[in-house]
Amino acid sequence: MWAGLWASQFTTPPLQCHVTSTLTYENDCKPDENGKKGASRWSHCRKRGADGNLRKSYEVEEPGKCSHSSRRPESFTTPESEGPVSRVKNWGDEVEAEEMRSNVRRDMHRYRRRILEADFPQRDRKISSGSSDSRDSRDSKESPAKGDLETDETTLIRRQKQINYGKNTLAYDRYIKDVPKDMRQPGVHPKTPNKFKKYSRRSWDQQIKLWRVKLHAWDPPAEEGSDLQQIEEIDLGEIMDFELDVECSADTESQCPTSSGASLSLAEVIFSIYKHIPSKISSSDPILEFF
Amino acid sequence: MDSAWTALDVVTQTMVQKAIADPKTVDLEKLSNAIVDQSLKDLSFCKDAGRMCYAVVQAEVQKAATSVFRRNLLTRLQQEFTAREETRNHSVQEWVCLVTFICSIFDYIKVNNAPLVALVDPIYDCLFRLAQPDALMNEEEVDCLVVQLHRVGEQLEQTNSQRMNQLFYLLRDGFLLQEDLSSMTRLLLLEILEFRASGWTLTNTAHKYYYSEVVD
Repeated sequence: MWAGLWASQFTTPPLQCHVTSTLTYENDCKPDENGKKGASRWSHCRKRGADGNLRKSYEVEEPGKCSHSSRRPESFTTPESEGPVSRVKNWGDEVEAEEMRSNVRRDMHRYRRRILEADFPQRDRKISSGSSDSRDSRDSKESPAKGDLETDETTLIRRQKQINYGKNTLAYDRYIKDVPKDMRQPGVHPKTPNKFKKYSRRSWDQQIKLWRVKLHAWDPPAEEGSDLQQIEEIDLGEIMDFELDVECSADTESQCPTSSGASLSLAEVIFSIYKHIPSKISSSDPILEFF
Repeated sequence: MDSAWTALDVVTQTMVQKAIADPKTVDLEKLSNAIVDQSLKDLSFCKDAGRMCYAVVQAEVQKAATSVFRRNLLTRLQQEFTAREETRNHSVQEWVCLVTFICSIFDYIKVNNAPLVALVDPIYDCLFRLAQPDALMNEEEVDCLVVQLHRVGEQLEQTNSQRMNQLFYLLRDGFLLQEDLSSMTRLLLLEILEFRASGWTLTNTAHKYYYSEVVD
């Protein structure tokens, strides 16, 4: 009877109860085990990718405490234990999660300060001319009012992780060495999405995808003609999604080369990659001949 | 740092130097194990080993933007911590070294200037063990207990004051009720009780009482 009760409560394989002699690593939060099926607001839409196959869980795994999505109890009583046994956590994971949280908080303070500094000259302008709607919306894109910041820690951490995946690539390393910040041209050079601005989940994920696609232009060459390969290797499923998303253009004017309201076509995405042409591409590159 | 440094064998010394100069050239997992192994053997080493580890962690963050060394160190420490009761049973010396080393790591290695929260409860667990009646019988363990409290007690209390209160109930009980304690043990316990009561410091008169006969 005990075994049945126990098995029904936990979806993981039975933990060893003799905590002192064995080591069990558990994270507080394992969305893939709890199952995001129906749990996230995403589950009712975008269930399939453009290729028709069911999508995998959208969420990035988040170690550390995320109380609103973890349904695992902190401690439990098993037949063998003498009382509640606390869940053994992995110190390495815990420290890294804590570090990410405090990095995000620190980033937020810095960003707030930067906004305050930028706000001052603009505030004067607003008072004197009387704020019009277009100006407000433009201003808020550059320096969102304090209340318009994304502050939810879980969201910020998730976004930071996505950014880290992109920054942790050879392409990004080569990009930042290749193009110093002051030489970056908006629309041409990839710009890291701003995690503190308010975006819908979909909009944010699209921005990340676009950013990472753009970064591929700096992938290290494996062999000649590799850039052509890279274009072919881009998951067309991902790119096809761009056409369906109207929000992309409104929020990512600095990333998308199109400034009209139109969504991106495949050709435009490829073109945006080739705008900054790494020197190694030969002029006889067949893709370039299109343009 | 000198005594800690010379306690290491030449191979490990070289590894440490190389790791600080260029973390990518060294097997950081091997290095972290070597440091932990040495600290479990040598009490004088483990007091300063934290500082050495801190140097390697910083070097890795600044030069390689990774934290492999820290992660390996923590994983190994967690293993040792989980097996602490068995360790204590076969060697009190090793158990004492383990506690000293964990506290040294907690003291030196911070995350964005904040202490490693993951270590707080484990350290408390160790201190609680040291405050048990059987442990209070060993001057070795009592000494370890009070030294660590001097070192990291205030930080521990800031992160979790409730457990510190509970720990001190045990210490008071031990001091008052345990009959077979040596006078040295009772002296050490009384000192730490006063130390905490004065806000993790000693008044001048108390300091004179406890330390006036200590030769520098």
